[in-house]
Amino acid sequence: MTVQESVTVSPLPNQAIETHGLTKRFGNFTAVDSVDLSVQKGEIYGFLGPNGAGKTTAIRMLCTLISPTSGSASVDGYDIVQGANEVRKRIGLVSEKLIMYPRLTALENLMFFGRLYGIERTTLRKKSEELLEMVKLTPFKDKLVGGFSSGMRQRVNVIRAILHDPDILFMDEPTTALDPQSTRFVRDLVKDLRREGHTIVLTTHIMEEADELSDRVCIIDHGRVMAVDTPQSFKQKYNTESLLDVFLELTGRELRDSANGRISMRAPMGRM
Amino acid sequence: MVEKITWEVALDIARRNLLDLWRSKMLLFFFLLFPLLLMSMFGYIYPPVPKSNPNTGSIGTAFPNLPVSLVQMDDGPAASTVAAQFIQLSQQQGLFKVSESTTYQAARDLLVQGNLKGIVIIPQGFSAALTAGQPATVQITVDETNPTIAATVQGEISALFNIIGSNISNQNIRDMDPGAPVNPAFIIQPISVTQVPLISGVSSSFEFLAPGFMALTVITGSLQGVATAISREKEQGTMDGLLVSPIPHISIILGKVTAQTVRGLIQGFLILGLSIILFGVRIYGSPIIMLIVMVLGTASFVGVGIILTAVAPDQETAQMMTVLLQFPMMFVSGILFPIDQMPTWLQTVGKGMPLYYAADALRKVIILNAPLTAIMPDVLILIVYTFLTMTIAIPLFEKAMRR
Repeated sequence: MTVQESVTVSPLPNQAIETHGLTKRFGNFTAVDSVDLSVQKGEIYGFLGPNGAGKTTAIRMLCTLISPTSGSASVDGYDIVQGANEVRKRIGLVSEKLIMYPRLTALENLMFFGRLYGIERTTLRKKSEELLEMVKLTPFKDKLVGGFSSGMRQRVNVIRAILHDPDILFMDEPTTALDPQSTRFVRDLVKDLRREGHTIVLTTHIMEEADELSDRVCIIDHGRVMAVDTPQSFKQKYNTESLLDVFLELTGRELRDSANGRISMRAPMGRM
Repeated sequence: MVEKITWEVALDIARRNLLDLWRSKMLLFFFLLFPLLLMSMFGYIYPPVPKSNPNTGSIGTAFPNLPVSLVQMDDGPAASTVAAQFIQLSQQQGLFKVSESTTYQAARDLLVQGNLKGIVIIPQGFSAALTAGQPATVQITVDETNPTIAATVQGEISALFNIIGSNISNQNIRDMDPGAPVNPAFIIQPISVTQVPLISGVSSSFEFLAPGFMALTVITGSLQGVATAISREKEQGTMDGLLVSPIPHISIILGKVTAQTVRGLIQGFLILGLSIILFGVRIYGSPIIMLIVMVLGTASFVGVGIILTAVAPDQETAQMMTVLLQFPMMFVSGILFPIDQMPTWLQTVGKGMPLYYAADALRKVIILNAPLTAIMPDVLILIVYTFLTMTIAIPLFEKAMRR
């Protein structure tokens, strides 16, 4: 299975991600509607929007998990369709669902996923143990992940995503359902990763989290980009102290439980 | 063609899969219980059939002492002799428990109530016919609600009357020429048939069943195992972890197939082991060829499992579809009974299933000690099946994964 690999490097070397008219349709429903984005290298890019706005679909396209219907995108200079395999080598994913086998131990999980990136066994083991130490799970490294608390699992899940030192890390609601201690821990981890030079695309529904972590925030709704700015200038522009007000101003206050096309469409097994 | 890294990753995936099974004690328990249950259940459904022995005139039966009734409508001496011989032979051979009824209607009522399996009628004029040197007829009614029992009863009654009939002929011949030195059996039965077994020793229905069950386990396992393994990973989210990494997607398939093959072989050989220990099945063929056939059996149907997973929207639907495919396949592929007894169109359906060829090949290897050359047609068909299904499955999987 040879993926045709593109060597076209983006003309702007500072761009981690660039999309042009990126669109994904499921049947009649347009989940992502000609989105143009550009994420700078080394920034934390807050990707915000109400449920069903198209965040996860956009991230899945950028991670090469689904193909765009139209438009194009490049990640670290590689086209997400033509150069999918090059993109994969350079990204890490923390998705809504944990990527981890409950019947493997923490260390076994890391070893398994690390091997997928061709990391040599001894190097991988050393790296895994370092990372486990970093998230304070060394005493639990040989315990089955299935018995871990949500906070512990998410810590393993995050280091699983950075084992191969990806340039770009996609984090889809990494602190959802975590206790305050774990939330704090994960947020600090995100900041540390940025300091180490990783680019991070972060989605969250917690506005204070987006405010605290993001260098820039992109608010999308109905699959379209509403606005992109730094949290600071957003708040100034809307003359408010909280990003939540900005968010509600841009996306409206109505509840988002109208049945859109996604309900009836064929969306198998967490494909969204 | 397939790179080294592809295999390395595939083996990692397979190892993880098997570790998962090993660590889930409950799953492991049922995984091992399944062949045990299958084998012992069918072991007792199909009772061992003792062989008939034409030399001593004994008739083997799977259903000893079936209740039948004798309705004697003729009062003549010949009829009484025949009736007495029938009762005596039935008891001696352990075939029937014979009761006597006065009228056909009374016997028929008993049969309808389920108390009888068959009725033997010696009609009026029976003695007269025999005395006059004419052929006489005995009538039989059997319980037609159970075809197997009906056929057995009919066959056994006919066999008994053959014996009685030849006794009568012997008598007649002796009466004709008392001093003749000729063996009367030679005149009546100039040709007798004795079975020369294909393989020396006693064969049991298990030698037919065991290879079939091995093939069945391996093939349904590959159909279901891979489908559930893939859809479970999709639902639990770990498939994303595989797909987002730079591994060739064929590794995922190869990994799942390898894990499933190992599982299938364990179950298959467990069945064989149980058949040997519990039911005295003997292996005449080469274990290596058996292994080859079983691996091919898995490979031939794994593609179908992947196709179903790719087409089905979720795990439950995928499972429904596999059961729907697997259930009829079990019956038409000659696992439980030879397909020669089925109508031609159904035989054609059966011969469209890889299970038929896997079972056929295994049976030939195990019972007949067939060399690889003898089962080549089966092997080739399995290989063709593998390539055909995989050619459809791989792009479909690829597409389904990136939907």
